[in-house]
Amino acid sequence: MTQKTKAKTGGANGWEPRIAAFLCNWCSYAGADLAGVSRIQYPPNVRVIRVPCSGRINPLFIVKAIQGGMDGVLVSGCHPGDCHYISGNLYARRKFALMKNLLEYVGIEPERVHFSWVSAAEGVRFAEVLTKVIESVREVGPATRMIKEFEAVP
Amino acid sequence: MKVLTVAKTDVPALLEAIAAQRRLIAPIEDRMGTSFGEVSDPAAVRLDYRNTHLSSKEVVFPQCETLLRFRDDEAEDALSEERETVLFGVRPCDARALSLLDRVFTWDGLDDPYYLRRRQGTIVVALACREPGPACFCTSVGGAPAGEAGADVLATDLGDRLLLQAVRERGDALLEDAGVGEAASDADVEAAKQAAESAEALLASVKAPTDLERLRATFDSDVWSELAMGCLGCGACTYSCPTCHCFDITDETRKGVGKRVRSWDTCAFPLFTLHGSGHNPRPAKDARLRQRILHKFLYCPENFGEVFCVGCGRCISNCPTGIDLRRILERLEQLVSAA
Amino acid sequence: MSELQGILRREVAKLLEEGTVDLFVGYVDADLPLKTSVRFLRSPEEAEALVWNASCTSNPAALLPPLFRRPEGLRGEWTPPRVGILAKGCVSRSVVGLINARQVPRDSLYILGIGCDGVIDRHRVMQRLGVAELAEASVEDGNVTVRATDGTAQTLELVEALYAGCRVCRHHAAVIADATIGGEPAPSDDETRYADVEAFSERSSEERWMAFMEEISRCVRCYACREACPNCYCNECFADETAPKWIGVTTDPADLAFFHIGRAYHQAGRCVDCGACVAACPQGIDLRLLNQKVNQDVAVLFGGEASVSLEEPEPLCQFAMEDDQGFMTEP
Repeated sequence: MTQKTKAKTGGANGWEPRIAAFLCNWCSYAGADLAGVSRIQYPPNVRVIRVPCSGRINPLFIVKAIQGGMDGVLVSGCHPGDCHYISGNLYARRKFALMKNLLEYVGIEPERVHFSWVSAAEGVRFAEVLTKVIESVREVGPATRMIKEFEAVP
Repeated sequence: MKVLTVAKTDVPALLEAIAAQRRLIAPIEDRMGTSFGEVSDPAAVRLDYRNTHLSSKEVVFPQCETLLRFRDDEAEDALSEERETVLFGVRPCDARALSLLDRVFTWDGLDDPYYLRRRQGTIVVALACREPGPACFCTSVGGAPAGEAGADVLATDLGDRLLLQAVRERGDALLEDAGVGEAASDADVEAAKQAAESAEALLASVKAPTDLERLRATFDSDVWSELAMGCLGCGACTYSCPTCHCFDITDETRKGVGKRVRSWDTCAFPLFTLHGSGHNPRPAKDARLRQRILHKFLYCPENFGEVFCVGCGRCISNCPTGIDLRRILERLEQLVSAA
Repeated sequence: MSELQGILRREVAKLLEEGTVDLFVGYVDADLPLKTSVRFLRSPEEAEALVWNASCTSNPAALLPPLFRRPEGLRGEWTPPRVGILAKGCVSRSVVGLINARQVPRDSLYILGIGCDGVIDRHRVMQRLGVAELAEASVEDGNVTVRATDGTAQTLELVEALYAGCRVCRHHAAVIADATIGGEPAPSDDETRYADVEAFSERSSEERWMAFMEEISRCVRCYACREACPNCYCNECFADETAPKWIGVTTDPADLAFFHIGRAYHQAGRCVDCGACVAACPQGIDLRLLNQKVNQDVAVLFGGEASVSLEEPEPLCQFAMEDDQGFMTEP
């Protein structure tokens, strides 16, 4: 039993959602940074991965994160029209709509996969989005579907 | 060696007796027709099929198996537990293929422990064919609808009863343990022989090239480009073939913990021979198809004295673009005899 | 059908004779019930072997891209061959997709369009009739007749035996062609286009997960689905990449799930529902259940349809300011 497995079965004893957040450098990451310097409190359950643009995000990253045992994934970018690279987030919007729907369709709980627009000036909004994501994941509990085990015998 | 008959109505009892002492793997119905599966309910076993869509090699050579597990610097072997298994109802082509796989996995005194652990624990009850499938050609490659190669017991369907003939000691012991059935009459044995002969007569003959030197000489021929044009480079033929045995070994790890696994591979994939440098000695489909065919019909005969094809026809039924090994063999024979 | 077949043979013989094409790819009889083989023809005499019937299932467009890649190690001049292809509606759309993706040059293709009434799904025939294998089968007078291993014959109406995609097909005739033979069959009723997807979506999340895992559990990673698909032309598929390593090579359920989700997803805006993947799978996995979900979303969310025109970029190569945002999280 791995450390992680123990924590996961902790339930009321101590399971905390683990969220991977892919944030675009120019807007969402800056927004997260602003939340930080403004001392806005939000739960610490998120691991941030900074990317240049939400359009850079390969939708398979989301699947990989879930397979790796993350309880939830957030992808956040600039508001439509504000993308630093003009249209990256607009392509991303199409890609993620499809991936979210496909994942939900095959049975990955929709409460685990989130997308948002957060601008560089929206520190408060960032904290609110994140809080909502974490609570949403908390409701569905630890992720159990599609997790890849590295110790079991096939 | 025992020769018994078991009434069809008693077959479930026979299977139950076997399943009571050993793991029973037999043909069961599935979405695609019939395939081999572990049987808990003998009533689910079907013996009225031509052939399964994938072969029975999975029992001794699974699609994937863990070879060892490791954590940081420590590793432990992951040999499967010893388990007596009865593989019931395989066709003689698949049984014969097991005896061919035995040659590969014990080649040159290098015994593959993972294969052997499974193989040694497996008792094979082959079920003779009464009617060939549309793609069958076992007699053209050294097999027979009632062949005994690779089998411990040979069963023949005589309509209302099964004739069971022990071929090897283990088969004899199995029939003894099962305690079902009665001694067969001479008439029964004769009926089985007749059935075998009728089945053989129904098989079309395919002229496969046997002159190894001449076959080797086709290496640089354009015929391979011609034959490979329709090939998609997928693994459907290889993965359904009972004698194909190539595998890949990969490590799967996360933070120092992991396992080393062996999984099926196919020379039909471009990746099969891709070097780390990026060079690929078999860059195009023609070279890969050539490899697959010559491996079975030239290199294995040279290494083992046996053609590595049992004529089950699955590659023909499963090829998405309809490539037909029988036509390939005929074309090669044509080329070889004209040379 | 046989009249059209005769016309087909004459047309192709002419194309090869006149040197309009160097190669022509079509279908010939396979020595198996309800199956045809893909064949590349070079000489006019070979055209006699061509057939056109309800067993012409595979998508020959999948075999086009390698023909236009410069052979490795070849020095000096190389011109791509002029290739003719027999294109029913879905095949022609695949060709459009490949041209749009710059995988095949339009100038090197001769597309012979042909009207198609649909092709048989062999798995479906076996399921409907409860037969384990197609030992003997034929199509006559609008019926598929199958003889089971015990000799009994059963029939199924041809329309019931067709691949699900054919029964809702909107593009029976080629969407792009240099010449066309045969008429233009009317588009099928597509009220039930996404019926399977909708039915599946009605189930609970838990049920869907169990059903999905059960469906793909039979997968042996042979990649027949991928290779049979004209859209899977990548030099390196994500499933084979080792840097990064997305998935392992085994039948680990988590990896199977990832592969099938990944492959269905990569088809977004490009899948033409030709059924080649379904026909190719030796394990009878219902891949259409996944592909059609993505197709439905593309149609409903973006009003997009894959590969119908050389003028229009594929749905995922474009965007609209008003694209749906209903899926996004708002605090």
